[in-house]
Amino acid sequence: MTSQATDARSRAGWRSSIGVVHEDQWTAPDPRRLLQLGLGFIWLLDAMLQFQSFMFSKGFPQMLAGTAPGNPAVIADPISFSARIIAEHGTATNAVFAVIQLLIGLGIAWRPTLRLALGLSVVWALAVWWFGEGLGGILNGAGSPVNGAPGAVIIYALLAVLLWPGRRPRSAPFTAGRCTGAAVARLLWLVLWGSLAYLALLPATNAPKALSSMISGMAAGEPAWLASLDNHLGAFLSHRGPAAAVVLAIVLAVVAVGVYLPRPAARAVIVLAIATATVIWIAEGLGGLFGGAGTDPNSGPLLALLALAYWPLANRSPAENPVSEPA
Amino acid sequence: MAGESWLADTFAGIMIITAAYCASRLVVSRRQHRPTDHQVDAVHVLMGVAMAGMLVPRLRVFWAGGWEIVFGASAVWFAWLMIRALRSRNAVRHQLSHHLQHVLACVAMVYMFLAVGSAAKAASGGSGMSGMAAGTAHYPTLALFLAFALFGYVVWTADRLPSLAPGAALAAASAALAPVLAGAVGGGDGDGGTVVAEENSRSSLRDDSPAQSGRRRSGAPLSPRLSACCEIAMGVTMGYMLILML
Repeated sequence: MTSQATDARSRAGWRSSIGVVHEDQWTAPDPRRLLQLGLGFIWLLDAMLQFQSFMFSKGFPQMLAGTAPGNPAVIADPISFSARIIAEHGTATNAVFAVIQLLIGLGIAWRPTLRLALGLSVVWALAVWWFGEGLGGILNGAGSPVNGAPGAVIIYALLAVLLWPGRRPRSAPFTAGRCTGAAVARLLWLVLWGSLAYLALLPATNAPKALSSMISGMAAGEPAWLASLDNHLGAFLSHRGPAAAVVLAIVLAVVAVGVYLPRPAARAVIVLAIATATVIWIAEGLGGLFGGAGTDPNSGPLLALLALAYWPLANRSPAENPVSEPA
Repeated sequence: MAGESWLADTFAGIMIITAAYCASRLVVSRRQHRPTDHQVDAVHVLMGVAMAGMLVPRLRVFWAGGWEIVFGASAVWFAWLMIRALRSRNAVRHQLSHHLQHVLACVAMVYMFLAVGSAAKAASGGSGMSGMAAGTAHYPTLALFLAFALFGYVVWTADRLPSLAPGAALAAASAALAPVLAGAVGGGDGDGGTVVAEENSRSSLRDDSPAQSGRRRSGAPLSPRLSACCEIAMGVTMGYMLILML
């Protein structure tokens, strides 16, 4: 046995020696797989949040029913109906919801069930978007980029589609374009971020005290550092609300068109998108994760994950950049 | 611990099964001279028992206090293994992440015991661990960070699951490995003898003779896939408990 071979085998590690890992069968996750794992991570987090005591109480269906007012009857009536059913069978329905989310999260992480889990992710996300988020408040005028509009859960569905493991991955300058193609992926990005820019100019965001009260209202139940951040941000915006909304709209619009720019500029825009998503997440009070009543981390992390999927890659064809496809 | 009682019972049941399985791994490994990661299995047994007791107080069959010291010492031990691996010329990423996961899990256990203990004391003046409600823990940001880290590891482990040897394959491998390991490795964590052990493992995994098939039937308890499933179950349960503390 040569010393080179010895070194190679030693590098395979002690776990291989007891049969734990077969390095020869293992393909390291490529960027798309890492993003899929990110989506699985968030579904897993959602499942655990869904297991919180509050979700089994009457408060949860009341929260769902609260998304109905202001929506057209065709949207609002099914929301009210489902909220009533959940109120009557709170334990069973919520347990099912949590288990579905747990299965989606683990299913995405486990390669053999990836497609099934991503498909279920799309269906479940659309159902939650309607029955749980009232279409993100885009029809009743309550939606704002700072309160999660156009619905955090719709971004789950979008990510599941963009990260779908196609049999023949297309050549695209960013990961999100490998399934649908770059043109469709760019269009979806433009629609999402463009709608956020539009929503920032509506009264729910640009009314004099709208942003300030929205952000300050998140502080209750948060740890001191986050409550302090939100209170300071809210105080800062108390007299600058409309101007801040316009600035936010401009930033979001720049992000929306940024994916059409050449690679260096597009990279700068993606960095701006991630920074904006981070600020939005802080303004959202980290999605209300603290306090026991948050159902998901809200739109901030999803927007950041989506932005990473649009990070311009180096020029390489799929043949030069082989990726691991799930079984 | 706050939360739905049936849910706590379910998670506690899963933890007891996990602890029992990890204990069986230790026994089988010792009796059949087959290699496994003894330290990890032992810590999993302790974690399973401790978490079941935290979730359902009537399941606290052992001592109530002192777990912080046990898991604190375990965290230091795994951190030391990680540092040693970092210094090693042959350090590999899996080895580091494997130790890091156990450091995280042990730190999470210490955090939960300290947080639950102090919250219960503040609430009743006693030393019980039940009755803790959301938002009562100190440093909830740390709880969230630990939950994120554990969920991250759960997802990462699930991603690697198909690449892990099933029990049947491992049984065959370990049958060939046993004499080698007895003489060369002398423990699941040994770095020495790795090359020989791996070579035997790989060749045995490819062997499909009837004699090997007969041996495989007795090998399920040491399945690496099941071991990884234990880590997933523990990570999910621990994450659930941490989320309850936010």
